[in-house]
Amino acid sequence: MAQASLAVDGISKAFGETRAVRGLSLDAAPGEVIGLLGPNGAGKTTAIRILTTIYAPDSGSFAVDGIPYTRPSAIRQRIGVLPESAGYPLHQSGEEFVQYFARLFGQSRKSARETAKTLLAEVGLAERAASPISMYSRGMRQRLGVARALVNRPRVLFLDEPTLGLDPAGQRQILALISEAATERGATVILSTHFLDEVEEVCSRVIILNRGEVIAEGPVADIKRRAAPRTARVRVPEENHESALSALKRAPGVGDAQAVNGGRGLISATLDGSDTNAPIRALLEAGIPILFFELEGGKLSDAFLALTGEAGA
Amino acid sequence: MTTLTPEDVRREPALQLAAGAGGGWLVIAGQELRDIWLSARGPAIVIGTSLLLSLLTYLAASNEELNIIDQRDTVNLLAQITMALAVGVSLLFTADCVSGERERETLESLLVTPVPRGQVALGKYLAAVSMWPVLLIVAIPYIWVLREGEGVFADAMLGALVVGTLLVIGFVSLGLLVSIFSGSNRLSLAVAFFIFVLLLAPTQLPLGGWFGDLITQTNPMTAGSTFLHRAIVKEHGWGEDLDLLIAPAVWAIAMTGVAFIAAGRLRLQGSFGR
Ligand SMILES: Nc1ncnc2c1ncn2[C@@H]1O[C@H](COP(=O)(O)OP(=O)(O)OP(=O)(O)O)[C@@H](O)[C@H]1O
Ligand SMILES: [Mg+2]
Repeated sequence: MAQASLAVDGISKAFGETRAVRGLSLDAAPGEVIGLLGPNGAGKTTAIRILTTIYAPDSGSFAVDGIPYTRPSAIRQRIGVLPESAGYPLHQSGEEFVQYFARLFGQSRKSARETAKTLLAEVGLAERAASPISMYSRGMRQRLGVARALVNRPRVLFLDEPTLGLDPAGQRQILALISEAATERGATVILSTHFLDEVEEVCSRVIILNRGEVIAEGPVADIKRRAAPRTARVRVPEENHESALSALKRAPGVGDAQAVNGGRGLISATLDGSDTNAPIRALLEAGIPILFFELEGGKLSDAFLALTGEAGA
Repeated sequence: MTTLTPEDVRREPALQLAAGAGGGWLVIAGQELRDIWLSARGPAIVIGTSLLLSLLTYLAASNEELNIIDQRDTVNLLAQITMALAVGVSLLFTADCVSGERERETLESLLVTPVPRGQVALGKYLAAVSMWPVLLIVAIPYIWVLREGEGVFADAMLGALVVGTLLVIGFVSLGLLVSIFSGSNRLSLAVAFFIFVLLLAPTQLPLGGWFGDLITQTNPMTAGSTFLHRAIVKEHGWGEDLDLLIAPAVWAIAMTGVAFIAAGRLRLQGSFGR
C-alpha cells in the first residue's frame, strides 16, 4: 500500500455534553473511496469538519498526505471539501465561482480560467458556465460544488451528503464524478451519505458511526456478511404446506420455519449456518416442488439497521 | 480527465503554497469590490448620496439670498453628512461580511481554502473602506460650489479626509468585530448600527459643562465632528484642536487591532445569537 493519504488516530470532539465523535481512527490509501454511514446525529459532519480543519479535535490526531493536523493551512492546500450545506453566491456565474476559488488556492488569473473551464466541462456544466448560479438546478449546484472542491487537485476529497435532494439522474452524475476523482485523479474520497446503494456502488470500505462511535468498519462485503440472522423465504404449492414446514424444521442448517402471515404455501425459514442452500436441499429431498426462493438479509441496509439498532428513533 | 503525473504532484503544492499564502487578501478584496461596485449596491448608495447633497445644496443656495445660514455652516453640514453616511454604510458592509456568509452558508467553503483568516478579514475590510473615498469625491463638486472666502474648500476637504478616514477605519473594524462573533446577520447589523447611532447621537445634542466636554472629547464621533466644525466654521488652524483628533485616532487604531486579533479566531459558528 502506498503511503496513507489520510491517517486518523482516535480523534474525538464534544459539544458540551454531546460527544459528537469518539475515538475515530482510520487509514486511507490514494484512490480509495470510503463511505461514512450513520443515522442523523451520528457524527459524520463533525468528523468531516475535524478532518477539514474547521474544528480542532479535543483529542487524537490525524495527518493528510503526511501533513500533521497541527499545520491546518498546509492541509487545506491538499484537501477538497463539499460541505454538508454549501451555499453559493447566486449572482456569480459558475465560471466566476470556480475561478474565484482557484485564485484563492493561489493560481494565477490565467491558470484559474483554465482550471474553471476544464472542471466545468468535467462536471457537465460547460454550456451553463456563464449563467448565474441562481439559474442552476439543485443537481447543477452540487456538481458545481464538486468542481469547486477539485480546483486544487486535492489528495483527499471530503463530500458530505453530496447527493442529498437529487433525483436519480443527478445522483448518478455525482457518483460518476466521485469514481472518476478516485480512479483517475488518485484522490482519496470520504463520502458521507444516508444512501446505502450509493455506498455499495462506489465505496471500497465503509465506516458506520452511531452516536459518535465507530460501530462497524471494513469492506462493504464484510459488513454485509455481518447482517442480522438471515432468513429464506420459500413458496411451495399450498397442498405441500404442512410437509414443507416439517421438512424444513427437521433439516440441518435451518433453525425454524413458519408460515408467513399465517398464509399457506409461503414459508419463512431462519438459517442456522452459512449454508444458504440448506432449505432448498431439505425441500428437494422431501420431494416438494419449490415455486419461489429468496434470501433476506445480507444486504448492506440490513446490516446497517441491525448495527445501528433503534438509534434512528 | 487528466491523470496526475508524479511531476504534477511534486510541483503543484509548492506553487500553490507560494501564491496562496500571500495574495489571498487581494483576491478576496477584488471579489468583494466587484460585489459592491458592479452590483446595484454601491452605485445606488452613490446616487442616493449625491441626490441628498444636491437637495441640501439647493436649499442652502436659495436660503443664501435670505442670508439665514452662513455659507461655512453649509459646507460643514455637507462634509459632516458625507462623513456620517460613509461611516454608516461601510460599517454595515463589514457587519454583514462574516455573519452574512455564515447565514448564506458560504463561509465553510471559504474557511477550507488556505487563505489565512486574517487575510479573509483584510480583503473584506478593504472593500468596505472603498465606500469612503468614493463618497468624499462625490462631495467635492458640492463643497466647491458652496465655498466662499479663502481656504474654505481646502479646510473642508482636508479636515473631512483626516477625520473621516479615522472614523471609517474605526467603525469598519467595529462592524468586522461584531460580524466575526455574531451567529446571525440580523443581530450583527443591529448591534453594529446601534453602536453607531449611540455614538452619533451626541453630535446632535447641545452638550455643555464638564460632562459634555468629556463626551465630546472621548466619543470619536463627537470629537471628530467638533474638530471638523471648528476647522471649517471657526476657521481654526490645524494645530489648535489636535486634541480632538486623539479620540478618533485611538478609536481607529484600537478597533483595527482588536478586529484583526479577533479575525485570527474566526470560526464557522458565531459565538452568540444563534
Ligand atoms: N456546532 C455544534 N454545536 C453543538 N452541537 C453540535 C454541533 N455540531 C454538531 N452537534 C451535535 O453533534 C452530534 C453529531 O452531529 P453531526 O452533525 O456530526 O451528525 P451527522 O452524522 O452529520 O448527522 P446528519 O446525518 O443529520 O447530517 C449531534 O448530536 C449534533 O447535535
Ligand atoms: Mg451531517
